Amino acid sequence: MDVDALLLSRLQFAFTIAFHIIFPSFTIGLASYLAVLEGMWLVTRNEVFKTLYLFWLKIFAISFGMGVVTGVVLSYELGANWSVFSAVAAPVIGPLFAFEVLTAFFLEASFLGIMLFGWKKVGPGLHFTATVLVAIGTLISAFWIISANSWMQHPTGFATLPNGDLIAVDWFKVVFSPSFSARFAHMTLAAYLTTALVIGAASAWRLLKDADESESRMSLRMAIGMFAIVAPLQLLVGDISGKSVERLQPAKLAAIEAFWDTRTEQPFHIAAWPDRAIAGNRWEISIPKLGSLLTGGSTQAEITGLKAFEPQDRPPVAVVFWAFRLMVGLGLAMIGLGAWGAWLCWRSAPERSRLFLMAAVAMGPAGFVAVIAGWMVAEVGRQPWVIYGVLRTADAASPLLAGQVSLSLLGFLIVYAIIFSVGVLYILRLIAEGPVAGSHEPVDDDRAPGSALAAMPEDPG
Amino acid sequence: MPAIIEPPPEPGARLAPLWKRLAWFVGIAVASTTVVAIVAYAMRAVLPSY
Repeated sequence: MDVDALLLSRLQFAFTIAFHIIFPSFTIGLASYLAVLEGMWLVTRNEVFKTLYLFWLKIFAISFGMGVVTGVVLSYELGANWSVFSAVAAPVIGPLFAFEVLTAFFLEASFLGIMLFGWKKVGPGLHFTATVLVAIGTLISAFWIISANSWMQHPTGFATLPNGDLIAVDWFKVVFSPSFSARFAHMTLAAYLTTALVIGAASAWRLLKDADESESRMSLRMAIGMFAIVAPLQLLVGDISGKSVERLQPAKLAAIEAFWDTRTEQPFHIAAWPDRAIAGNRWEISIPKLGSLLTGGSTQAEITGLKAFEPQDRPPVAVVFWAFRLMVGLGLAMIGLGAWGAWLCWRSAPERSRLFLMAAVAMGPAGFVAVIAGWMVAEVGRQPWVIYGVLRTADAASPLLAGQVSLSLLGFLIVYAIIFSVGVLYILRLIAEGPVAGSHEPVDDDRAPGSALAAMPEDPG
Repeated sequence: MPAIIEPPPEPGARLAPLWKRLAWFVGIAVASTTVVAIVAYAMRAVLPSY
Protein backbone atom coordinates (compact mmCIF):
# COMPACT_ATOMS: atom_id res chain seq x y z
CA MET A 1 0.00 0.00 0.00
CA ASP A 2 1.32 3.45 -0.82
CA VAL A 3 1.94 6.01 1.90
CA ASP A 4 -0.88 8.31 0.78
CA ALA A 5 -3.46 5.51 0.86
CA LEU A 6 -2.26 4.52 4.33
CA LEU A 7 -2.60 8.07 5.61
CA LEU A 8 -6.05 8.43 4.03
CA SER A 9 -7.20 5.12 5.55
CA ARG A 10 -6.01 6.29 8.95
CA LEU A 11 -7.80 9.62 8.47
CA GLN A 12 -10.98 7.85 7.41
CA PHE A 13 -10.99 5.54 10.43
CA ALA A 14 -10.16 8.43 12.78
CA PHE A 15 -12.98 10.51 11.27
CA THR A 16 -15.61 7.77 11.44
CA ILE A 17 -14.68 6.55 14.93
CA ALA A 18 -14.62 10.12 16.27
CA PHE A 19 -18.21 10.52 15.07
CA HIS A 20 -19.22 7.12 16.42
CA ILE A 21 -17.75 7.51 19.90
CA ILE A 22 -19.89 10.58 20.53
CA PHE A 23 -23.04 8.46 20.68
CA PRO A 24 -22.05 5.50 22.91
CA SER A 25 -20.25 7.83 25.29
CA PHE A 26 -23.60 9.62 25.67
CA THR A 27 -25.97 6.62 25.66
CA ILE A 28 -23.97 4.59 28.22
CA GLY A 29 -24.56 7.29 30.81
CA LEU A 30 -28.06 8.13 29.60
CA ALA A 31 -29.25 4.51 29.92
CA SER A 32 -28.12 4.44 33.56
CA TYR A 33 -29.70 7.86 34.13
CA LEU A 34 -33.01 6.56 32.75
CA ALA A 35 -32.84 3.56 35.09
CA VAL A 36 -32.25 5.90 38.05
CA LEU A 37 -35.14 8.17 36.99
CA GLU A 38 -37.56 5.29 36.61
CA GLY A 39 -36.43 3.74 39.89
CA MET A 40 -36.93 7.08 41.66
CA TRP A 41 -40.39 7.40 40.10
CA LEU A 42 -41.33 3.89 41.24
CA VAL A 43 -40.20 4.63 44.81
CA THR A 44 -41.48 8.21 45.20
CA ARG A 45 -44.24 8.44 42.54
CA ASN A 46 -43.01 11.99 41.98
CA GLU A 47 -44.29 13.02 38.53
CA VAL A 48 -41.13 15.04 37.89
CA PHE A 49 -39.13 11.82 37.51
CA LYS A 50 -41.69 10.37 35.07
CA THR A 51 -41.67 13.53 32.93
CA LEU A 52 -37.87 13.56 32.87
CA TYR A 53 -37.78 9.85 31.99
CA LEU A 54 -40.16 10.24 29.04
CA PHE A 55 -38.27 13.31 27.81
CA TRP A 56 -34.79 11.75 27.89
CA LEU A 57 -36.09 8.41 26.54
CA LYS A 58 -36.83 10.08 23.19
CA ILE A 59 -33.31 11.48 23.02
CA PHE A 60 -31.87 8.12 24.07
CA ALA A 61 -33.74 6.33 21.27
CA ILE A 62 -32.44 8.76 18.61
CA SER A 63 -28.87 8.69 19.97
CA PHE A 64 -28.92 4.89 20.22
CA GLY A 65 -30.00 4.65 16.58
CA MET A 66 -27.28 7.04 15.42
CA GLY A 67 -24.73 5.10 17.49
CA VAL A 68 -25.69 1.85 15.78
CA VAL A 69 -25.54 3.33 12.28
CA THR A 70 -22.14 4.98 12.81
CA GLY A 71 -20.81 1.82 14.51
CA VAL A 72 -21.73 -0.55 11.69
CA VAL A 73 -19.55 1.51 9.35
CA LEU A 74 -16.48 0.74 11.48
CA SER A 75 -16.84 -3.03 11.16
CA TYR A 76 -17.06 -2.68 7.37
CA GLU A 77 -13.95 -0.48 7.40
CA LEU A 78 -12.00 -3.14 9.30
CA GLY A 79 -12.51 -5.41 6.33
CA ALA A 80 -12.23 -2.82 3.57
CA ASN A 81 -9.32 -0.65 4.75
CA TRP A 82 -7.58 -2.87 7.31
CA SER A 83 -7.87 -6.33 5.77
CA VAL A 84 -4.38 -7.44 6.84
CA PHE A 85 -5.17 -6.54 10.44
CA SER A 86 -8.47 -8.42 10.15
CA ALA A 87 -6.85 -11.49 8.62
CA VAL A 88 -3.99 -11.64 11.12
CA ALA A 89 -5.86 -10.76 14.31
CA ALA A 90 -9.40 -12.00 13.63
CA PRO A 91 -8.99 -15.31 15.54
CA VAL A 92 -8.21 -13.29 18.67
CA ILE A 93 -10.11 -10.05 18.33
CA GLY A 94 -13.06 -11.25 16.22
CA PRO A 95 -14.71 -13.22 19.06
CA LEU A 96 -14.53 -10.15 21.33
CA PHE A 97 -16.56 -8.15 18.80
CA ALA A 98 -18.93 -11.11 18.34
CA PHE A 99 -19.47 -11.34 22.11
CA GLU A 100 -20.24 -7.61 22.10
CA VAL A 101 -23.01 -8.13 19.55
CA LEU A 102 -24.40 -11.29 21.15
CA THR A 103 -24.32 -10.27 24.80
CA ALA A 104 -24.69 -6.50 24.69
CA PHE A 105 -26.22 -5.25 21.46
CA PHE A 106 -28.96 -7.89 21.38
CA LEU A 107 -29.75 -7.17 25.06
CA GLU A 108 -30.02 -3.44 24.37
CA ALA A 109 -31.99 -3.80 21.13
CA SER A 110 -34.41 -6.38 22.60
CA PHE A 111 -35.36 -4.47 25.71
CA LEU A 112 -35.32 -1.02 24.12
CA GLY A 113 -38.52 -2.17 22.42
CA ILE A 114 -40.17 -2.66 25.81
CA MET A 115 -38.85 0.69 27.06
CA LEU A 116 -40.42 2.47 24.09
CA PHE A 117 -43.58 0.53 23.38
CA GLY A 118 -44.50 -1.54 26.42
CA TRP A 119 -45.01 0.45 29.64
CA LYS A 120 -48.77 -0.09 29.84
CA LYS A 121 -48.53 -3.58 28.37
CA VAL A 122 -45.96 -5.02 30.79
CA GLY A 123 -46.63 -2.83 33.84
CA PRO A 124 -44.23 -0.71 35.91
CA GLY A 125 -42.12 -3.52 37.44
CA LEU A 126 -41.30 -5.33 34.21
CA HIS A 127 -40.77 -2.03 32.39
CA PHE A 128 -38.22 -1.02 35.01
CA THR A 129 -36.55 -4.42 34.52
CA ALA A 130 -36.26 -3.66 30.78
CA THR A 131 -34.74 -0.23 31.48
CA VAL A 132 -32.18 -1.75 33.85
CA LEU A 133 -31.33 -4.48 31.30
CA VAL A 134 -30.70 -1.86 28.60
CA ALA A 135 -28.45 0.08 31.00
CA ILE A 136 -26.54 -3.14 31.80
CA GLY A 137 -26.34 -3.87 28.06
CA THR A 138 -24.61 -0.55 27.37
CA LEU A 139 -22.04 -1.34 30.07
CA ILE A 140 -21.45 -4.85 28.69
CA SER A 141 -20.94 -3.27 25.26
CA ALA A 142 -18.29 -0.95 26.70
CA PHE A 143 -16.71 -3.96 28.44
CA TRP A 144 -16.09 -5.87 25.19
CA ILE A 145 -14.97 -2.87 23.13
CA ILE A 146 -12.51 -1.73 25.80
CA SER A 147 -11.36 -5.33 26.19
CA ALA A 148 -10.57 -5.53 22.44
CA ASN A 149 -8.85 -2.15 22.46
CA SER A 150 -6.87 -2.92 25.63
CA TRP A 151 -5.63 -6.11 23.99
CA MET A 152 -4.41 -4.01 21.04
CA GLN A 153 -2.64 -1.70 23.51
CA HIS A 154 -0.89 -4.57 25.33
CA PRO A 155 -1.55 -7.97 23.72
CA THR A 156 -1.39 -11.02 25.99
CA GLY A 157 -2.64 -14.62 25.89
CA PHE A 158 -1.88 -15.25 22.20
CA ALA A 159 0.60 -17.14 20.01
CA THR A 160 1.88 -16.42 16.50
CA LEU A 161 1.49 -19.17 13.88
CA PRO A 162 4.26 -19.81 11.29
CA ASN A 163 2.27 -17.89 8.65
CA GLY A 164 2.08 -14.83 10.91
CA ASP A 165 -1.55 -15.23 12.00
CA LEU A 166 -2.38 -14.87 15.68
CA ILE A 167 -4.34 -17.36 17.77
CA ALA A 168 -5.60 -17.11 21.34
CA VAL A 169 -4.00 -19.55 23.79
CA ASP A 170 -5.45 -18.07 26.99
CA TRP A 171 -8.82 -16.32 26.62
CA PHE A 172 -8.75 -14.98 30.17
CA LYS A 173 -5.52 -13.12 29.37
CA VAL A 174 -6.93 -11.91 26.05
CA VAL A 175 -10.10 -10.50 27.63
CA PHE A 176 -8.45 -9.15 30.77
CA SER A 177 -5.20 -7.76 29.42
CA PRO A 178 -3.19 -5.80 32.04
CA SER A 179 -4.50 -2.30 31.26
CA PHE A 180 -8.14 -3.40 30.84
CA SER A 181 -9.61 -2.78 34.30
CA ALA A 182 -8.28 0.79 34.64
CA ARG A 183 -9.23 1.67 31.05
CA PHE A 184 -12.77 0.22 31.42
CA ALA A 185 -13.33 2.22 34.62
CA HIS A 186 -11.90 5.35 32.96
CA MET A 187 -14.17 5.02 29.90
CA THR A 188 -17.30 4.25 31.93
CA LEU A 189 -16.77 7.26 34.19
CA ALA A 190 -16.06 9.39 31.11
CA ALA A 191 -19.41 8.29 29.65
CA TYR A 192 -21.24 9.13 32.89
CA LEU A 193 -19.57 12.55 33.00
CA THR A 194 -20.38 13.22 29.34
CA THR A 195 -24.05 12.47 29.93
CA ALA A 196 -24.16 14.51 33.14
CA LEU A 197 -22.65 17.50 31.32
CA VAL A 198 -25.28 17.30 28.56
CA ILE A 199 -28.12 16.95 31.08
CA GLY A 200 -26.65 19.77 33.15
CA ALA A 201 -26.37 22.01 30.08
CA ALA A 202 -29.91 21.20 28.91
CA SER A 203 -31.31 21.88 32.38
CA ALA A 204 -29.33 25.11 32.74
CA TRP A 205 -30.53 26.27 29.31
CA ARG A 206 -34.15 25.81 30.39
CA LEU A 207 -33.56 27.42 33.78
CA LEU A 208 -32.04 30.51 32.17
CA LYS A 209 -35.50 31.03 30.65
CA ASP A 210 -37.57 29.90 33.64
CA ALA A 211 -35.78 29.43 36.95
CA ASP A 212 -38.86 27.76 38.51
CA GLU A 213 -39.23 24.81 36.10
CA SER A 214 -39.34 21.90 38.54
CA GLU A 215 -38.12 19.20 36.09
CA SER A 216 -35.01 21.17 35.08
CA ARG A 217 -34.27 22.11 38.71
CA MET A 218 -34.31 18.43 39.64
CA SER A 219 -32.18 17.32 36.68
CA LEU A 220 -29.67 20.13 37.27
CA ARG A 221 -29.19 18.98 40.87
CA MET A 222 -28.77 15.37 39.74
CA ALA A 223 -26.16 16.48 37.18
CA ILE A 224 -24.30 18.55 39.80
CA GLY A 225 -24.21 15.47 42.04
CA MET A 226 -22.54 13.53 39.22
CA PHE A 227 -19.97 16.28 38.51
CA ALA A 228 -19.14 16.64 42.19
CA ILE A 229 -18.60 12.91 42.82
CA VAL A 230 -17.53 11.43 39.47
CA ALA A 231 -15.18 14.15 38.19
CA PRO A 232 -12.71 13.89 41.14
CA LEU A 233 -13.04 10.09 41.01
CA GLN A 234 -12.18 10.22 37.30
CA LEU A 235 -8.97 12.08 38.14
CA LEU A 236 -7.90 9.23 40.44
CA VAL A 237 -8.85 6.50 37.95
CA GLY A 238 -7.09 8.43 35.16
CA ASP A 239 -3.95 8.53 37.28
CA ILE A 240 -4.11 4.73 37.80
CA SER A 241 -4.61 4.30 34.04
CA GLY A 242 -1.63 6.60 33.39
CA LYS A 243 0.53 4.54 35.75
CA SER A 244 -0.30 1.41 33.72
CA VAL A 245 0.75 3.26 30.53
CA GLU A 246 4.11 4.06 32.15
CA ARG A 247 4.59 0.35 32.88
CA LEU A 248 3.17 -1.18 29.69
CA GLN A 249 3.68 1.46 26.96
CA PRO A 250 6.65 3.64 27.97
CA ALA A 251 6.89 5.24 24.49
CA LYS A 252 3.30 6.46 24.78
CA LEU A 253 3.94 7.84 28.26
CA ALA A 254 7.05 9.64 26.99
CA ALA A 255 4.96 11.19 24.17
CA ILE A 256 2.19 12.21 26.60
CA GLU A 257 4.74 14.08 28.73
CA ALA A 258 7.16 15.07 25.91
CA PHE A 259 10.06 13.36 27.68
CA TRP A 260 12.98 12.87 25.29
CA ASP A 261 15.81 11.83 27.60
CA THR A 262 15.72 8.96 30.09
CA ARG A 263 16.48 10.44 33.48
CA THR A 264 15.41 11.01 37.07
CA GLU A 265 13.91 14.36 38.13
CA GLN A 266 11.92 14.70 34.91
CA PRO A 267 10.19 18.10 34.72
CA PHE A 268 6.44 18.39 34.16
CA HIS A 269 5.78 20.30 30.95
CA ILE A 270 2.72 22.48 31.36
CA ALA A 271 3.08 23.54 27.73
CA ALA A 272 5.67 22.66 25.11
CA TRP A 273 6.22 22.35 21.38
CA PRO A 274 7.61 18.85 20.82
CA ASP A 275 9.36 18.33 17.49
CA ARG A 276 10.38 14.88 16.29
CA ALA A 277 12.74 16.42 13.73
CA ILE A 278 15.04 17.74 16.46
CA ALA A 279 14.15 14.98 18.96
CA GLY A 280 13.33 17.59 21.57
CA ASN A 281 11.00 20.42 22.53
CA ARG A 282 11.39 23.70 20.64
CA TRP A 283 10.15 25.52 23.75
CA GLU A 284 8.63 24.46 27.04
CA ILE A 285 7.11 25.84 30.23
CA SER A 286 7.95 23.34 32.96
CA ILE A 287 7.92 22.64 36.68
CA PRO A 288 11.19 20.93 37.68
CA LYS A 289 11.06 17.35 39.04
CA LEU A 290 7.24 17.19 39.02
CA GLY A 291 7.14 14.91 35.96
CA SER A 292 8.99 12.10 37.76
CA LEU A 293 6.83 12.59 40.84
CA LEU A 294 3.52 12.42 38.93
CA THR A 295 4.42 9.53 36.65
CA GLY A 296 6.84 7.51 38.80
CA GLY A 297 5.69 8.41 42.31
CA SER A 298 9.04 9.99 43.30
CA THR A 299 11.24 12.81 42.05
CA GLN A 300 14.07 10.24 41.87
CA ALA A 301 12.05 7.85 39.67
CA GLU A 302 13.79 7.25 36.33
CA ILE A 303 11.32 7.78 33.49
CA THR A 304 12.11 6.53 30.01
CA GLY A 305 12.37 9.18 27.29
CA LEU A 306 11.59 8.91 23.59
CA LYS A 307 15.27 8.72 22.60
CA ALA A 308 15.34 5.24 24.15
CA PHE A 309 13.29 4.11 21.14
CA GLU A 310 14.38 4.01 17.51
CA PRO A 311 12.96 6.99 15.55
CA GLN A 312 10.72 4.66 13.54
CA ASP A 313 9.21 3.30 16.81
CA ARG A 314 8.26 6.68 18.27
CA PRO A 315 4.61 7.87 18.20
CA PRO A 316 3.66 11.35 16.96
CA VAL A 317 4.45 13.49 20.00
CA ALA A 318 2.77 16.89 19.61
CA VAL A 319 -0.73 15.44 18.95
CA VAL A 320 -0.52 13.09 21.94
CA PHE A 321 0.98 15.76 24.21
CA TRP A 322 -1.69 18.37 23.46
CA ALA A 323 -4.64 15.94 23.33
CA PHE A 324 -3.70 14.75 26.81
CA ARG A 325 -3.54 18.31 28.12
CA LEU A 326 -6.90 19.14 26.54
CA MET A 327 -8.48 16.08 28.22
CA VAL A 328 -6.96 16.82 31.63
CA GLY A 329 -7.76 20.54 31.37
CA LEU A 330 -11.41 19.79 30.66
CA GLY A 331 -11.43 17.24 33.50
CA LEU A 332 -10.19 19.90 35.91
CA ALA A 333 -12.87 22.29 34.63
CA MET A 334 -15.48 19.56 35.34
CA ILE A 335 -14.17 19.21 38.90
CA GLY A 336 -14.42 22.99 39.28
CA LEU A 337 -17.99 23.01 37.94
CA GLY A 338 -18.95 20.22 40.35
CA ALA A 339 -17.42 22.00 43.36
CA TRP A 340 -19.10 25.28 42.35
CA GLY A 341 -22.47 23.60 41.87
CA ALA A 342 -22.23 21.71 45.16
CA TRP A 343 -21.37 24.93 46.97
CA LEU A 344 -24.37 26.68 45.36
CA CYS A 345 -26.67 23.79 46.34
CA TRP A 346 -25.42 24.02 49.92
CA ARG A 347 -25.61 27.82 50.16
CA SER A 348 -28.76 28.60 48.18
CA ALA A 349 -30.02 27.33 44.82
CA PRO A 350 -27.89 26.80 41.69
CA GLU A 351 -30.76 27.89 39.40
CA ARG A 352 -30.54 31.41 40.90
CA SER A 353 -26.94 31.90 39.70
CA ARG A 354 -27.08 32.93 36.05
CA LEU A 355 -23.29 32.80 35.88
CA PHE A 356 -23.28 29.16 36.98
CA LEU A 357 -26.10 28.30 34.55
CA MET A 358 -24.18 29.90 31.68
CA ALA A 359 -21.04 28.00 32.69
CA ALA A 360 -23.04 24.74 32.78
CA VAL A 361 -24.38 25.44 29.26
CA ALA A 362 -20.86 26.22 27.99
CA MET A 363 -19.56 22.95 29.48
CA GLY A 364 -22.25 20.87 27.71
CA PRO A 365 -19.96 19.62 24.89
CA ALA A 366 -16.88 19.29 27.15
CA GLY A 367 -17.43 15.57 27.80
CA PHE A 368 -17.47 14.75 24.08
CA VAL A 369 -14.32 16.78 23.46
CA ALA A 370 -12.56 15.13 26.40
CA VAL A 371 -13.57 11.63 25.24
CA ILE A 372 -12.29 12.25 21.70
CA ALA A 373 -9.06 13.80 23.08
CA GLY A 374 -8.63 10.75 25.34
CA TRP A 375 -9.08 8.36 22.41
CA MET A 376 -6.48 10.35 20.44
CA VAL A 377 -4.03 9.89 23.31
CA ALA A 378 -4.77 6.14 23.40
CA GLU A 379 -4.70 5.51 19.66
CA VAL A 380 -2.11 7.97 18.33
CA GLY A 381 0.08 7.19 21.34
CA ARG A 382 0.09 3.49 20.32
CA GLN A 383 1.56 4.31 16.89
CA PRO A 384 3.38 3.12 14.86
CA TRP A 385 1.69 -0.08 16.03
CA VAL A 386 -1.89 -1.18 15.49
CA ILE A 387 -1.25 -4.17 17.83
CA TYR A 388 1.45 -2.91 20.16
CA GLY A 389 4.77 -4.60 19.47
CA VAL A 390 3.17 -7.16 17.14
CA LEU A 391 1.76 -5.55 13.98
CA ARG A 392 2.65 -2.15 12.56
CA THR A 393 -0.14 0.08 11.26
CA ALA A 394 1.66 0.38 7.92
CA ASP A 395 1.59 -3.43 7.58
CA ALA A 396 -2.06 -3.76 8.61
CA ALA A 397 -3.71 -1.83 5.78
CA SER A 398 -5.44 -3.20 2.70
CA PRO A 399 -3.67 -3.01 -0.68
CA LEU A 400 -5.71 -0.04 -1.86
CA LEU A 401 -4.82 2.93 -4.03
CA ALA A 402 -4.95 6.49 -2.74
CA GLY A 403 -7.70 7.32 -5.25
CA GLN A 404 -9.93 4.53 -3.96
CA VAL A 405 -9.58 5.61 -0.34
CA SER A 406 -10.03 9.28 -1.30
CA LEU A 407 -13.36 8.42 -2.89
CA SER A 408 -14.68 6.56 0.17
CA LEU A 409 -13.36 9.26 2.52
CA LEU A 410 -15.10 11.94 0.47
CA GLY A 411 -18.31 9.90 0.57
CA PHE A 412 -18.11 9.58 4.35
CA LEU A 413 -17.44 13.30 4.75
CA ILE A 414 -20.54 14.20 2.73
CA VAL A 415 -22.90 11.58 4.20
CA TYR A 416 -21.78 12.15 7.79
CA ALA A 417 -22.02 15.91 7.41
CA ILE A 418 -25.68 15.55 6.37
CA ILE A 419 -26.78 12.78 8.77
CA PHE A 420 -24.83 14.09 11.74
CA SER A 421 -25.97 17.69 11.25
CA VAL A 422 -29.62 16.70 10.90
CA GLY A 423 -29.49 14.27 13.84
CA VAL A 424 -27.68 16.58 16.22
CA LEU A 425 -29.78 19.62 15.29
CA TYR A 426 -32.90 17.56 15.89
CA ILE A 427 -31.65 16.39 19.31
CA LEU A 428 -30.71 19.97 20.20
CA ARG A 429 -34.19 21.19 19.25
CA LEU A 430 -35.77 18.50 21.41
CA ILE A 431 -33.50 19.51 24.29
CA ALA A 432 -34.37 23.17 23.79
CA GLU A 433 -38.08 22.31 24.04
CA GLY A 434 -37.38 20.71 27.41
CA PRO A 435 -39.34 18.24 29.52
CA VAL A 436 -43.01 19.18 29.67
CA ALA A 437 -45.37 17.49 32.12
CA GLY A 438 -48.28 15.81 30.34
CA SER A 439 -46.63 15.95 26.92
CA HIS A 440 -47.56 12.29 26.44
CA GLU A 441 -51.27 12.89 26.62
CA PRO A 442 -53.15 12.62 23.30
CA VAL A 443 -52.84 15.68 21.06
CA ASP A 444 -55.51 16.95 18.71
CA ASP A 445 -53.59 16.83 15.44
CA ASP A 446 -52.00 14.02 13.44
CA ARG A 447 -48.70 13.95 15.34
CA ALA A 448 -48.41 10.88 17.54
CA PRO A 449 -48.25 11.76 21.26
CA GLY A 450 -45.08 10.55 22.92
CA SER A 451 -43.22 10.59 19.65
CA ALA A 452 -40.24 12.78 18.95
CA LEU A 453 -42.38 14.80 16.51
CA ALA A 454 -44.98 15.55 19.15
CA ALA A 455 -42.33 17.30 21.22
CA MET A 456 -41.81 19.83 18.45
CA PRO A 457 -43.73 23.07 18.28
CA GLU A 458 -46.76 22.84 15.99
CA ASP A 459 -45.28 25.47 13.69
CA PRO A 460 -41.51 25.04 13.86
CA GLY A 461 -41.00 27.82 11.36
CA MET B 1 -53.78 8.77 17.89
CA PRO B 2 -52.10 6.30 20.28
CA ALA B 3 -48.75 7.24 21.82
CA ILE B 4 -45.66 5.86 20.04
CA ILE B 5 -43.59 6.03 23.21
CA GLU B 6 -46.00 4.48 25.66
CA PRO B 7 -46.39 6.33 28.96
CA PRO B 8 -46.91 4.42 32.25
CA PRO B 9 -50.38 3.25 33.30
CA GLU B 10 -52.57 5.91 34.90
CA PRO B 11 -52.49 5.96 38.73
CA GLY B 12 -55.04 3.48 40.07
CA ALA B 13 -55.49 1.76 36.69
CA ARG B 14 -55.94 -2.02 36.92
CA LEU B 15 -52.95 -3.92 35.54
CA ALA B 16 -53.43 -6.91 33.26
CA PRO B 17 -52.82 -10.35 34.81
CA LEU B 18 -49.18 -11.25 35.36
CA TRP B 19 -49.18 -13.97 32.67
CA LYS B 20 -50.39 -11.44 30.12
CA ARG B 21 -47.78 -8.86 31.11
CA LEU B 22 -45.03 -11.50 31.01
CA ALA B 23 -46.27 -12.61 27.59
CA TRP B 24 -46.00 -9.01 26.31
CA PHE B 25 -42.53 -8.72 27.89
CA VAL B 26 -41.24 -11.85 26.16
CA GLY B 27 -43.15 -11.08 22.95
CA ILE B 28 -41.76 -7.55 22.49
CA ALA B 29 -38.23 -8.71 23.38
CA VAL B 30 -38.36 -11.60 20.88
CA ALA B 31 -39.89 -9.37 18.19
CA SER B 32 -37.16 -6.76 18.72
CA THR B 33 -34.44 -9.41 18.56
CA THR B 34 -35.97 -10.82 15.40
CA VAL B 35 -35.92 -7.40 13.74
CA VAL B 36 -32.23 -7.00 14.65
CA ALA B 37 -31.48 -10.48 13.27
CA ILE B 38 -33.32 -9.76 10.00
CA VAL B 39 -31.41 -6.50 9.51
CA ALA B 40 -28.11 -8.24 10.36
CA TYR B 41 -28.70 -11.05 7.85
CA ALA B 42 -29.82 -8.54 5.21
CA MET B 43 -26.56 -6.63 5.67
CA ARG B 44 -24.59 -9.87 5.54
CA ALA B 45 -26.28 -10.74 2.28
CA VAL B 46 -24.84 -7.67 0.55
CA LEU B 47 -21.28 -8.69 1.44
CA PRO B 48 -19.48 -10.43 -1.43
CA SER B 49 -18.53 -14.05 -0.74
CA TYR B 50 -15.02 -15.28 -1.60
